Parts: sequence; structure tokens; C-alpha cells
Amino acid sequence: MKVTCKIWRQESADSKGNFKSYETDGLTEDMSFLEALDHLNEILVLKNERVVAFEYDCREGICGQCGVFINGRAHGPHDHVTTCQLHMRSFKDGDTIVIEPWRANAFPILKDLMVDRSAFDRIIEQGGFITAKTGTAPEANAILISKEVSDKSMDAAACIGCGACVATCKNASAALFTSAKINHLNSLPQGRPEAHKRVLEMTQQMQLEGFGSCTYTGACEVECPAEISISNIAEMNARYLKAKLLS
Amino acid sequence: MSMFFRKSVVATTGLFLCIFLIVHLSANSLLLLPESIARSLYNSYSTTLRESTLINVVGYILYLSIILHVVYAAIITYKNRKTRSVSYAVNHKSENSSWASQNMGFLGVLVLVFIVVHMANFWARIKLGIGESVGLDTDGYVDVYQVTYDLFHNVYYVLFYSILMIPLGFHLFHGLKSAFKSLGFYHKKGLRILAKISLVYAAVMAIGFGIIPLIVYFK
Amino acid sequence: MKLNSKIPEGKLEEKWRNYQANSHLINPTNKKKLNVIVVGSGLAGAGAAATLAELGYDVQCFCYQDSARRAHSVAAQGGINAAKNYQHDGDSVWRMFYDTLKGGDFRSREANTYRLAELSAPLIDHFVQQGVPFAREYGGVLVNRSFGGVQVQRTFYARGQTGQQLLMAAYSQLYKMIRAKKVDMLPRHEMLDLVVINGKAKGIIVRDLTDGTIKRYAADAVVLATGGYSRVFRLSTLAIGCNGSAIWKAHKRGAYFAAPSFTQIHPTALPQSSDAQSKLTLMSESLRNDGRIWVPTKKDDARKANEIPEDERDYYLERRYPAFGNLAPRDIASRAAKERIDAGHGVGPLKNGVYLDFKNAIDRLGLDTIEDRYGNLFKMYRKITGINAYEKPMLISPAAHFSMGGLWVDYELMTTIPGLYAIGECNYSDHGANRLGANSLLQASIDGYFILPNTINNYLQTELAEERPNVDHPEFERVEDDVKEHIAKMMAINGSRTVDDFHRALGKVMWQECAMSRNRAGLEKAIIQIKNIKKEFWSEVKVTGSEAELNPELEKALRLADFIELAILMCVDALQREESAGAHFREEYQTKDGEALRNDADFMYVSAWEYNTGNFKLHKEELKFEYVEPTVRSYK
Repeated sequence: MKVTCKIWRQESADSKGNFKSYETDGLTEDMSFLEALDHLNEILVLKNERVVAFEYDCREGICGQCGVFINGRAHGPHDHVTTCQLHMRSFKDGDTIVIEPWRANAFPILKDLMVDRSAFDRIIEQGGFITAKTGTAPEANAILISKEVSDKSMDAAACIGCGACVATCKNASAALFTSAKINHLNSLPQGRPEAHKRVLEMTQQMQLEGFGSCTYTGACEVECPAEISISNIAEMNARYLKAKLLS
Repeated sequence: MSMFFRKSVVATTGLFLCIFLIVHLSANSLLLLPESIARSLYNSYSTTLRESTLINVVGYILYLSIILHVVYAAIITYKNRKTRSVSYAVNHKSENSSWASQNMGFLGVLVLVFIVVHMANFWARIKLGIGESVGLDTDGYVDVYQVTYDLFHNVYYVLFYSILMIPLGFHLFHGLKSAFKSLGFYHKKGLRILAKISLVYAAVMAIGFGIIPLIVYFK
Repeated sequence: MKLNSKIPEGKLEEKWRNYQANSHLINPTNKKKLNVIVVGSGLAGAGAAATLAELGYDVQCFCYQDSARRAHSVAAQGGINAAKNYQHDGDSVWRMFYDTLKGGDFRSREANTYRLAELSAPLIDHFVQQGVPFAREYGGVLVNRSFGGVQVQRTFYARGQTGQQLLMAAYSQLYKMIRAKKVDMLPRHEMLDLVVINGKAKGIIVRDLTDGTIKRYAADAVVLATGGYSRVFRLSTLAIGCNGSAIWKAHKRGAYFAAPSFTQIHPTALPQSSDAQSKLTLMSESLRNDGRIWVPTKKDDARKANEIPEDERDYYLERRYPAFGNLAPRDIASRAAKERIDAGHGVGPLKNGVYLDFKNAIDRLGLDTIEDRYGNLFKMYRKITGINAYEKPMLISPAAHFSMGGLWVDYELMTTIPGLYAIGECNYSDHGANRLGANSLLQASIDGYFILPNTINNYLQTELAEERPNVDHPEFERVEDDVKEHIAKMMAINGSRTVDDFHRALGKVMWQECAMSRNRAGLEKAIIQIKNIKKEFWSEVKVTGSEAELNPELEKALRLADFIELAILMCVDALQREESAGAHFREEYQTKDGEALRNDADFMYVSAWEYNTGNFKLHKEELKFEYVEPTVRSYK
């Protein structure tokens, strides 16, 4: 199969970018989308051109490193998948595929389709952990956690940190990402002692990084490969208001 | 000032305005009664409201709510717009979110335009006495009914009023459920029910407010 | 150099305690003066970096990904083993030790393996404390499931994302210490060489992947936690960026490489569908708990799975290994699959898979239970293949997965270069010739959290008196020049073939000759072929762009250059080991019914290879079994 890839090319963070079209032949339906880009890059190398820089690592939908805007959707046309889980059978022969990097001022472009998502790490740095040194843990079954609580915590903990929520949000809000981590930890008894501090500090960092505020379009939960629910954002709001009132 | 504070203000004022609309619509529905009953009921009702201290206080809260709602929503929108300097060349938002949710600012502006015109026509005349003075009805009440009746027989005004109730409906549909989320209501099943309530509420308000002028016009 | 494994004195149960009681300590004020480089931010690396920082050391942590959270530990699905005996099914540290040793076909040290089992229980406590949402019963206690190669239930899990959840815990602790300004995190920095000064590891040379700058970092000790090298086969279950470069460079600077040919082929990955494929997705082994593996008894059966009647299905694992059945260890399950596929019973479009069927389990346990246990795996399967596995059996096939081999380390996890440590999958320590399922997360975590932070003092206290490491040392300059020269040479080739093209060629040879089964003729041929690939690579590879910019193609080329050299050593090792042990199956050494034939008389040792400008010299670390009698590994 043959498609035309219209790809955003940008040399570096400071340079101006623009779209370039590449006719890409020799693809098969079984190829993953990223394999199609690999294939395009091999063609470019043989034509003595610079390869398209794009992110990937595990290629099984769990590491969260891949992610581009494909034909107007974060991670492509399907709901709840990562870019690496998208296959060429989702496109038709002769299609034009527009490929753009995540766009958000908090995610500056490094090159072509690669962006810098270290803002997420800095949000985690402000409390996305339980302060417990190695060697200080009590016996695991000494803390009983009901299946419901554990499952709910796990639902939130499933976030892969890909940034699709920010990319698709009209406000480039990181509320889904931040709330997932806060709710993962704050709903567990182990995370409770520093629950208020966590929600206040992480949300403060979220704002400092230049992410917008949530207006509940719900686009994030549709694109989220880990199916993190938008109710997490509401829960974060509740935790925030409670922490603010009690501190 | 944190985004949570701003969001809470918009949500709280929004919810207050939602309650106000219920009261407002129930008053409007009086207009559907036969003229003889409607006029006196409508006028006595509006006079009672104007003369009640409590309602006057609520009135000031209402003005303040509208102002805060608009100002903070504007600040939020302004700040949110600054988060993405380069927009996507292709963006199929409709595949992952409702149109209303993507256009709350635009819808809000339309509603605001309506409110300004609406208040100029009623509130300014009746409450502030600006423009043509309003007469009294046979019971000696200020004849607000007549003001309404006249306006609702102005085809341009009726069209303006009824059409702008459509953006109001969309704004309410997304706004009501979102306000609850902003204020921290996160029960998953509850949120699903809330989404349905929002839809019903928004539909009742938009259709209710929108259809009354038409009925009065054609009556 | 004679290999000294530094196994402590005392009874097996007392060795680790004795070690800790007698090792040197460093007082907190002195710890601040010492800095440690950790390369890699997976479970081992992040765990070590965070814990060392908590202890007071000054830590610098590097990873090639954009964030520490991407490390491939994230992809482990099934779980983590621990001898908690919560299920009251007769488990114990001893039994876990024995299972691991036996699973590895008696090619690992008793003392190391025992320590792994011993520290497993506190590790679960540790992770629960850090907020890992392990699966729980309604009453609130932790749940376990069983895993391949074991008859008890000792595996803890967080849905099918155990690796992700453990890594998130480690990553969050790492960021806790970054916030405390005790760890300096450098993502998108790839180690390209090791700096050894006066025989001791003193720093590394890295490339900043965002702009190509070559930088020097000095430290009192260097810890490699860079994961496995199964991408040498190109198609594997590993992340595309996983590489063997750091350990290979360390090997070339003097660290011995142990048992490079011990690489595990996982039985339950998705079959390859085309040449362009870049990766084989793993379906967690935990699926074998409830899924039954079968192929049609008839060769080249063209019928659909559901049309094949029960009596025409060959549940070959249950048939050959009645005691363990579908839970036979990975190497055995993989080989059995290969045997059936090679015999013409393979299924799927390319006849390269076998069925993994849940019909019985769904009938027995109900759809809800199966969905609760494996829901996300079924979902993932559907995303990739478009097939609903609740209705049709899954198609699976073996794929390169884990490298038991790695840098040789002693009981302290130090390599043969003083001051250079290797932890997690990149070392050869606990798994012997085959790793049991759910022991990989365990080993990575224990190395990083519990062992290294207790053993590194022993070395570092001798360094306190030494001169502070300094990047201005002439040796740094020399190594940096080597690195720059290496890159310049590669960029200058400007040949006619892509990096991926060479990788495919290498992978084909390795998968053919050095994967599930190996033989002398094939390995000898493979060595010649790989040497040719190497020669051609260095004259024909084409890398576009420049070295002074973000250049993914150059990154791939640098990694592949090292893989090619490592592949040669893997074949050399496989050729030299004239026995079948664990994942290493030499066709010449098998029993009448096709099982591995170990040769304890001649090969009861760990092969540790020394690099000598293109040649490899074998050193043997004899394995002594004082507590366990090595038996024939039978799962029948």
C-alpha cells in the first residue's frame, strides 16, 4: 500500500518548522504505524536525507514514549491506543496522513515530531511519591486495603505518561495526568500522611509548567491509552479543595 | 491565584445562575396563561420581588455572580489560550468531545450579549427607569407584563431571544455538569447521572425560554 | 586474573547476614563526599540511585529515554515472585531458592540464588509501602498466582502491569531524591564508553542525545543497570532502544562477560507477521495459568481453530510434561513450540504459531473471572491483531526475551573492574541458564534496592583516601577521543545500506543459529557470517545527518555496531559450551526423547570471557553445590 505522509519537520527547538510531504510506498496493512515511519526513514537514508525524528521505545503501548498527532487525533484515529499500537490497516491505500508533534507550550519541540515532556517529571518530583526510605517498610499484609480501594488506585496508577491528554486538550491541560498520580497515591493508606501536601504541591507545579486548566471537554479520557477516567480530575479538585480548607 | 480558585468561582456562580434560571423560567411560564390572569399575576409577582429586601440582596448576588462568572471565565479562557502558541493544522475535536465543551467561551459571549440586551430592555427600564417610562396596570402594579408583551410582539426581538436560547442551552448542558466536577463531585456513577440531568435541564431551559416568546407572539 | 566470587563464609542461610555484619561502613559525612554514577533508570537503576541517595551518596543517573519512567522494566506484565507463603501452600525461602536454582539448570551460585529468595519477602513489603497497588482479596490481603516452573503460588501482581507499577514506584522514589537534590538525573544521555583509571572504573563518556555533545562524567564508582541485550536478535520482546552498548564497552575495557549465550526465548509472544516488523509483543506468561496450549494433530491443518475437534488437538505441553503441563518453564515451553512448528503443526497465516486457548477456563471459571485476571492482556491482543481472544484462541509463538548472560559479577555485584558494578538484567548472577517467570523484576529490584547499597560501601571506603575523580584526567581525554573517533568513522562511511538492513541480517543469523537450539556447524557458520556482516557494516552502512545534532539514525548505528561484536561472542560461547543447559540447547547434547542433556562433569562452571582485541579468552568460575544436589531437570 502507498500513502502520502505529510510530516512536520523542524530542525531544532528554536528553528521554524514546516510540513513536508513524503510519498511512501511498499507498506503493508500489518505494519504498525511506527514501522511505516521506520520504513519511510530507510527510504530517506538511501536518498541521503535526514531521517524523521520521532519517539518510541517499547512499541507495546506501555512505556508512553511514543505519541504524535495523526490526522487530527492524538495517537491516531482510534480511542485508547498509543501510536505504536496503531496499524496501517486503519488507513486506506492512497490516503494522506498528516503527522504533527504534540503541541503545547509546556512540551517544547526538540526536533520534528519529538517534544520535551520533562514537565511531567517535574510534576512527579513535587510529590508524586510516598516518602518512605528503602528498608523502612512494615509487613505487607499488616496494612489491609480492600479490593475496591486497591482497584481504584490501580485504575489511576495505570497512566503511562504519554502526554496525549495534554496534546488533545484545547487548553493543553495536564489535569488528567496530574490527577491520576494524585489519586493513585492519595487513595491508598500509605499515601495518606502526605496527601494534602501532595495535592497542593503537584498542582502548583502543574500550573507553573504552563499547562492550562481543565474545562472538561473529555477529549483526554477518549484519547488516553490507559483509559484514565476524567472523574479523576473531579476527584483531584475535591482533594485540592479539601486540602486547601484544612491547611 | 490558582486555577482551582478561578474554576471554583466560575462553578459556584454558574450553579447559582442555574438556580436563578429555574425561578426565572417559572415566572416566564406565567405568560402562557390567558392574558387576564397572566397580567395581574405577572405584575404582582414582579412587584413582590422588587419590594422584598431579601430578593434585593439576592439580586445583588446575582449581578455579582454574572460579573464574576464572566470575568473569571474570561481570565481562564485567556490563560488557556496562551498554552498553545502553534495550533494543529488538522484537529478533529468532534471525534473526542462535544461541540459545546469545545466552545464554551464563544457560547458564553453569545449568552452575555443576550443578557446585556435583555437587561437593557427590562431591567434598565423597570429598575433604573432609563428610557420610556413604564405604566401601571389596573391593580396599580408596574405593568411589566405590558413591557414583555410589547417586546414579544416585536419579531426581531422574538427571533433574537429565541435563537440565543440555543447557545444558552449548550452552555448550560456543558456548564452544569462541569461545575459539579470543578467543585469536586467525582462519584463515577453520579457523574453519569449528572450528565443526563444536565442534558434534561439544559433542554428544558433552552426550549422553555425559547418557546415562550414564540407562543406569546403567535397567540 | 583469577575470578573471586567473594562468597561469604557460613551456612547458606547465614551468608548474607554474615556479609552485612562484616562489610565496611562509611559514616554519613563521608558518604556526601562520594559520588556514584548509575547508568540506566529501570527497576535496578532507579532503585539503586534512589537508595544510594537516601544513604547520603551523591548520585548521577543517566538514561537514553526521555524520562526515567520509560525504562523497559515497565513492560513486565506478569508479576514478581516472593517467598511469603501467604497461600499456605508449602512455600518457603528454601523452596524458592531451589526452584530458581533448578529453573536455571544449576548454572548459578547457590549463595546468590539463596539471597534472591531470602530478600524477596521484604521486597514485597517495600513495594507495598511505596504505593504499588498489588492485587488484593476482598478482605484486603494480597493475592498470589502461580507462574511457570513452579508448583506454589508465590507471584504478586498488579493486573497485567506489574512491571509498570514497580517501575513507577522506583521512578517516584528516584524523583523524591531528585527533589532532595541528591540525585542529578540526566535523561536522553547515552553512555558510550567507560573510563578506567589505574585499573578502577572512574567515570563514563556520554552523548547528549538532544544535541550530540560528548560529555565526561567522573565518579568514585560506576553502576551499570542497562538491561538486557536480546535486541541482538533484532526481533524481540524488548524495547527498540534496549541495547548492549554500555556493557559491551565495559567488556572491552576489561570487564568479563559471563555466559553471553544464555538468552531466554519466551514462549508466549505474538508471531511475526512480516519482515518490516520491529518488535514481537509479549503476552504475559501468566496466561499459561488458565490458557491451554495446543496445535492440530494433523500437519498443515487448514481448518479454523474452532472447527478442530477435541481429539484432533495436541496439548503437547500437557502430553510431554504432565506434572507441570502448560506451566512448564519458558525454555522448555519455547522449545516444545518450536519442535511442533518445525514438524509442520504450526498455525496462523505464516504457520509460525501455536494456539493458546481459554475456552476451558472460561467454561470453568466464567468470563468475569478471566476478564478480571487478564482483561488488559485480551484487550491488548485485540488492539494488535484485531482478534477477540474470548471467542477464538490466541496465536502465540516464541520470541527472544531475556538475557541471563551479562557482565560477570561477584557476590557484591562488582564486575572484574574494581569500582564497576552491574545490576539487574545486565549482569549474570542469579538465574543460571534460564530465568523463571516473575524472577526478573525480583532480581532487578533486589540488586538495586537491597544488595548494591549494602555492598558498594566495601569498595567506596577504600576510595575515600584516594584522589577525587576528575574529568580533567588525561584518561578521560583519551577515552573521549576514542569515542569521537568511533563516531566520526561511522559517519564517514556513507555507504549504501541502512542500519536496519544490517540489523535484520544480524537478527536472521542469530535467530537461525543461536536461539532456541544450536549446533556446532550452525554456530561456526554464524560466526563467519557475523564477521562478514561486521566487515560490511563498517564499509557499507549509511547514516545521514550529523553527529552534532539529535540523530536517531546514529544512535541506532552505534548500538548495532556493538550488537554485532556481542553476537560473535554469543556464538563463541554457545559453541564452547558442549552441553545443553536451560535455555542453551545444543542439538548434539540431548536425550533420546529430545530433552536437554547437561554435562556436569565438564561444564559445571560459569564461563567468563575476557576481551582481548577482537579475541575472547575464557575464564571459568567453578560452581560448587554444597547444599543442593544438581539433578536432572525434569518437569514431567
